[in-house]
Amino acid sequence: MSVETTASDSDADAAATPETEPADDPADAPRCPYCGDPFPTERLRDLHRGLNHYEDLDDSERDAYAAAYRSESEDLQSFRLRALAALVLLYFGFLMTYAVVAV
Amino acid sequence: MQRPSMSRRGARTLGALLGLAAVCGVAAAHGGSLRDASGQELAVPTWLFLSTGGAVVGASFLMASFVTDREFVAAIHEWQRLVPAPRRVLAWTGRLVGVAGFAVVLVTGFAGPSDPLRNAAIVVVWVGWWAAFAMTTYLVGNSWPALNPFRTLTRPLAWASGGSDTTLTPDRAAWASTAFLLALVWFEVVSPLADAPRLLASAAVGYLALAAVGVLAVGHDQWFDDVDPLSRLFRSYGSVAPVQRTADGLSLRLPAMRLTDDVVTTDGGVAFVIALLWGTTYDGLVGTPGWASVARAMVSSGVPAVVLYPAALLVGFLAFHRLYWWAARTARETAPTFTDADHIARRFAPSLLAIAAGYHLAHYLVYALSLSPSLVGALSSPLNPPAARTLVLPGWLSGVGVAAVLLGHLLAIWVAHATAYDELPGRLQAIRSQYALTLAMVFYTMTSLWIVGQPAVEPPYL
Repeated sequence: MSVETTASDSDADAAATPETEPADDPADAPRCPYCGDPFPTERLRDLHRGLNHYEDLDDSERDAYAAAYRSESEDLQSFRLRALAALVLLYFGFLMTYAVVAV
Repeated sequence: MQRPSMSRRGARTLGALLGLAAVCGVAAAHGGSLRDASGQELAVPTWLFLSTGGAVVGASFLMASFVTDREFVAAIHEWQRLVPAPRRVLAWTGRLVGVAGFAVVLVTGFAGPSDPLRNAAIVVVWVGWWAAFAMTTYLVGNSWPALNPFRTLTRPLAWASGGSDTTLTPDRAAWASTAFLLALVWFEVVSPLADAPRLLASAAVGYLALAAVGVLAVGHDQWFDDVDPLSRLFRSYGSVAPVQRTADGLSLRLPAMRLTDDVVTTDGGVAFVIALLWGTTYDGLVGTPGWASVARAMVSSGVPAVVLYPAALLVGFLAFHRLYWWAARTARETAPTFTDADHIARRFAPSLLAIAAGYHLAHYLVYALSLSPSLVGALSSPLNPPAARTLVLPGWLSGVGVAAVLLGHLLAIWVAHATAYDELPGRLQAIRSQYALTLAMVFYTMTSLWIVGQPAVEPPYL
């Protein structure tokens, strides 16, 4: 499991539009080899393996977990920026509305 | 190879929490001023008041999404301390107090004065039990299993009958409990239970008879653990409380954090939580001028008044239930995850209990405090009580109600956030799974705030 594959997974994970909406448990979904749980993306599978079966993992699987974690952190960073923008918009939107309506 | 570092982002978290408190404070102040001003002149239009409440919930979701450190989230909801307590003594005291209270209700209900505010049965049940005691179940801890007089009084029956062979599946038991709860809400709203002491005492006897039939049908344990709507209701409220009963004794947790455990385990349990949330909402809804005009319009267009109230109760329950299941199914797609919608619905349903508790506090705090002198008066001489008095309360206290509704929602947002982190492997996935549920919560908040902000009127046709 290399960093490149997890990077491309992050796109699939990020674009949860109705077209890429997961079918119910498809046969070719990435599965956890330890508990058999299916996951929509390999990145989520790698994260699950790292969180729930860390002691049983071999080195390459641990590397995959680290890579998945890093790639997710990057996406989280961009999510945070958007969340912050939404908060600022919400705050100033209400500030203006109160200034106009509730004087 | 080291695990990727999950450093504590203490400063960021603290910042988010402070910001949350600030937004909450501002909104509560607006709410308070609206309520105070409603007699004279509306300073803030209703739509702005409601959208501010909705935005507070939405903003608190966005702020919670900044807290992505798994260890920190888990440390908050897993924190607990055992508290030593004389459990046996407490249980016996509870049983005695419960049975004594039941006796007072029966005696004064049938033989006491007919003025409701001077009658001990009325004030003990409504002020002492349904308002004040219910508050203790979510503010302190659930003591109803010890206190419950129906449980104590039907125990000899269980011994005599030697238990029951029939057992319901937990799911069916929870659905039965949901049906009983809706029936209770309907009966409470349409009957003059709060004004007629004789009727109230008869209803108490009726409930004891129902409990006896239930104990004979499914056994003492299953009736009071699964089916009895009041026991399930107080247990649900109790899971919001800081004091929890565990196998090792009483344990102290942060408020509402028990809700991140598997409190709800069946689809029927999900329905019960929704019915509880909708029941408190419905109770307030029928007292609004908006409902009064809708009801008059419906009855004048030919709908019988008898059908109107139960129909509205059922329709509202189905709407709330549908909305919640829509949120659970949508969570699978937005996250995305292959976890069953059933499992998601069960894991996140307990977060709604914090909302229900906040709404109960908003509804009953002023009521309980203002009528507390009647309770003391009626209890000091049950058969010949002094003239009823009410406490004059400062105006800002009604702002506490609005704050309670918002605080309940903020707790619910945090509980759902913590549950998502517990349930899903991806941090971003956990945040995305909350989109639909947050929307549903915004809808529930705006509904509750609308009711809290309305003047109370008598429901028509009752």
